[in-house]
Amino acid sequence: MQTALMKTAMVQTDLPAIQLQQVGVTFGDVVAIQNLSFAVERGEIVSFLGRTGAGKSTALNLIMGNLAPTRGEVRVMGIDPKAEFQQLRRVIAVGFQTDRLMPWRTALENVELGLQILHEEKTATRKKATEWLARVGLERAANLYPHELSGGMRQRVSLARALAIDPEILLLDECFSQLDHVTSQVLRADISRLIRELRKTCLFVTHRIDDAIEMADRILVFGAPAKLLLEHHPTEADRNDPAAFKVLHDLIAEKLGIVE
Amino acid sequence: MTIEVMQEKPALPRLPKHERYAGIITAVAIVILLQIASMVAPHYIAPPPADILSSLWNKLLPLYGDMLLTLGRLALALGCAMLVGTGLGLVMGMFPTARPYVRSVVVIDTGIPALSWMLIAVFWFRMPELRIFFILLVIVIPFYALGVADAIRAMPKDLLEMCESFRPNRWQVLRYLIFPHVLPYIFATTRSVIGYATRMIIFAELIAATAGIGAQMGLAQANFDIATILAWTILLVGLNIVLQQLVTWVEQYMLSYRQAIEVR
Ligand SMILES: Nc1ncnc2c1ncn2[C@@H]1O[C@H](COP(=O)(O)OP(=O)(O)O)[C@@H](O)[C@H]1O
Ligand SMILES: [Mg+2]
Repeated sequence: MQTALMKTAMVQTDLPAIQLQQVGVTFGDVVAIQNLSFAVERGEIVSFLGRTGAGKSTALNLIMGNLAPTRGEVRVMGIDPKAEFQQLRRVIAVGFQTDRLMPWRTALENVELGLQILHEEKTATRKKATEWLARVGLERAANLYPHELSGGMRQRVSLARALAIDPEILLLDECFSQLDHVTSQVLRADISRLIRELRKTCLFVTHRIDDAIEMADRILVFGAPAKLLLEHHPTEADRNDPAAFKVLHDLIAEKLGIVE
Repeated sequence: MTIEVMQEKPALPRLPKHERYAGIITAVAIVILLQIASMVAPHYIAPPPADILSSLWNKLLPLYGDMLLTLGRLALALGCAMLVGTGLGLVMGMFPTARPYVRSVVVIDTGIPALSWMLIAVFWFRMPELRIFFILLVIVIPFYALGVADAIRAMPKDLLEMCESFRPNRWQVLRYLIFPHVLPYIFATTRSVIGYATRMIIFAELIAATAGIGAQMGLAQANFDIATILAWTILLVGLNIVLQQLVTWVEQYMLSYRQAIEVR
């Protein structure tokens, strides 16, 4: 009830979906994020690109509300995700690097988890979970347990679990990176099509430059400790013209300090 | 978008043939040894197997009421110990500030000999049922408490984080994540504790009760009836095997998702 009321209130405001203002995070002596400011508009698909240890996961943890910033302000739909944790129920869903499926639940039951937490009614939960499994191409695997599925299938289940609650914001943390190249490409294509169809706000972390160029409306390139090195809006030309693709790819690689 | 589904499940492991018969061969060997012993030693020390068998049939069988009583006491006390112990284990696992205190109580409790509890129970409680229940409870609770606390410590942080990303309340975390994760540990504890609990309940009945298998064994001892004592002993060994098997079956049924994992 409360969530529903709040959601209508939020939609009327024109606040960005995600906003970080002069955010700093330190763990003891380690500076994970120095001074980071950026905003993600509603319906936008933004990619975080950066090398391992740049602070990408830390930034996602701030947005999820698992972590409070040492300095600065984090807002999701105008709400402080850590202080007002429960207020963002149903607003955010996360796809992790590993599938994180519950081994005691079947594929279908795993997809149901988020809906159960949101107190959705039982038959509606089953129906939605079944639909989402079908959407990620796993209708025949509904009753299999995670250990009976391949890595790619497991990751599909876990993304269905995130999408099933119909979140406004989807956070993806390197969720294709554990898969082999072909599996990851097919899955990435399917998921990015779904995200566009559903007009979700999506922030996805990756260390693969191709992923970012192909999926994102906007690319934010990070250097350690989490400062913005480059911001770019990939165009259709960037994606489709091999020469333009290469120019952009090389520019980002240079910023990241990857010499090829 | 269609995807190949792996359907075949790995088979459950089975004991090799020669191991399956080992138990029977050992039992037969013991019977033969008893027969030989009864031929060289007096019968009040080593009764022949035929006498034991006759006691089993003629004296024990009519006492099925005592057997059921013992089993009932065992089931009730074990069930309550499971609930209370799991509760304590959850408190230890979920509330870091309470953990050292609860753990101290549990560690002290584990150090108290079963015999002390039995004697104390005789002083504290007049009703035999209450005595037995109390004794079993204090002996068994720590196993569950420590088992569950360890289970929570072994819980993958990944899963907790994933669960929290849907912003559940405390009760939902308990219900959807912690309880299913802890359940196999509760079964494992039951499997390892049930034999011990059976021995302890017999002991407690001997000291604190007038009915039940333990009390009946005390009676046989008072009558210098060694054949009956051995008959009870054989019955208890059999009971132990049956109970273990029972727990294993329930476990396999309730945790069927794990069967294939365990094989790997
Ligand atoms: N909980 C933590 N405690 C201490 N240091 C941390 C913690 N989380 C991250 N860090 C450090 O912060 C930096 C950024 O980490 P992370 O955000 O995981 O990077 P990325 O996801 O870009 O690979 C790293 O140097 C990492 O060691
Ligand atoms: Mg990371």
